[in-house]
Amino acid sequence: MVIDELDALRDKYEGCAALAFADLSTKMILVTDSGSNLRREALDALCAEAALLLGANGKPALADKPGDLASVASIAQLRVFLRAQSEPNDVLCCICGPKMDADAFVADACACLDRISSG
Amino acid sequence: MSEPTALAEKLATLASKETLDDTGARIISEAGTPAPIAAILREVDDTVLERCLTFSFGDTTINIIAAGRRLRGILSVIPQSDADIIGHVLSREEPEGVQAAFDLLNDMCGDADHLTVRAMPPEPFGKGGERGISAHGLTELWGVAADAEPKPPMEQFLGMNAAAISSVLHVRKGEIVSKAGDFKALQTIWTSQVDAFREAHKKTLRGEEGAQLVCLESAFDDGSSAAMALYEDEVVLVAYQAEGFGHMQSSWQRIFS
Repeated sequence: MVIDELDALRDKYEGCAALAFADLSTKMILVTDSGSNLRREALDALCAEAALLLGANGKPALADKPGDLASVASIAQLRVFLRAQSEPNDVLCCICGPKMDADAFVADACACLDRISSG
Repeated sequence: MSEPTALAEKLATLASKETLDDTGARIISEAGTPAPIAAILREVDDTVLERCLTFSFGDTTINIIAAGRRLRGILSVIPQSDADIIGHVLSREEPEGVQAAFDLLNDMCGDADHLTVRAMPPEPFGKGGERGISAHGLTELWGVAADAEPKPPMEQFLGMNAAAISSVLHVRKGEIVSKAGDFKALQTIWTSQVDAFREAHKKTLRGEEGAQLVCLESAFDDGSSAAMALYEDEVVLVAYQAEGFGHMQSSWQRIFS
């Protein structure tokens, strides 16, 4: 179950506030972790941010080409966006607190996304 | 040292947002800011009751004894050294010893890029009447420039991530104020992509404002990653190695949160 994978990742990281699995081709959030209480508008904005940063239409946000990992750090949040290796339209959108171990989280989030996408 | 200068240094210390590293030790110097020897003397100046101050970076450890805002002497160092000054109380009457202490500290940690301190209980050192030399006195004797003001946030951020960054374009109020490395690709981004990206991104932010760091892994054709840092009227574009992502995030939060 996708939601179980998302819940397990969120439970592992205290600073993780919300996780959402999205499809870039339709620019829609398909499922969130069970503890997430984001409103529809917030989910739409999160998906739009993922589409922009990961280059949903093949156009890079900045520089030469879209990548598989993008992030936005603000004073209050670290948002991480990951693209699945096996299916480029499968993305994981993550909202975290600012004091996150970014390297460790990204490694686990990548593994989580790959399991979801290939499952 | 004048009172206003001393006060300015204290305020600078408070403004520098010192934090703890993963081991719980307090970070007192990063990327050479402030200079490690100045940072050590600042700790001595903040030590009233006798303490063993343990300074560390990498595999290097320096234990000194400080009390009454004075450096009494160097208790021990790792890696071990045969310097004669170790274990001896500093005295203005022995300038060779004062210089030897500076040389030892400078050799061991003068170029430390991440210096931490722990205040430990004191250990027996010298005789009771040997007080050592005040931190202010050593500042003058050693010719150490005390940093009255911390570097601006963007400079701190760039300094702390210099090892991962291969090129930089720093823009303030729309004008390029500095550039380094192979910056032409960054200049192209600045002139042709940044405005459109910021406008498009703003629509997704739902009112979020303030400092921001956008990272895009493997965004350049050569495999390097791109980042854009925004703070007030400053825009910094960098190309960096993806291995530096985690450190970039943690340093950003330390400086701007």
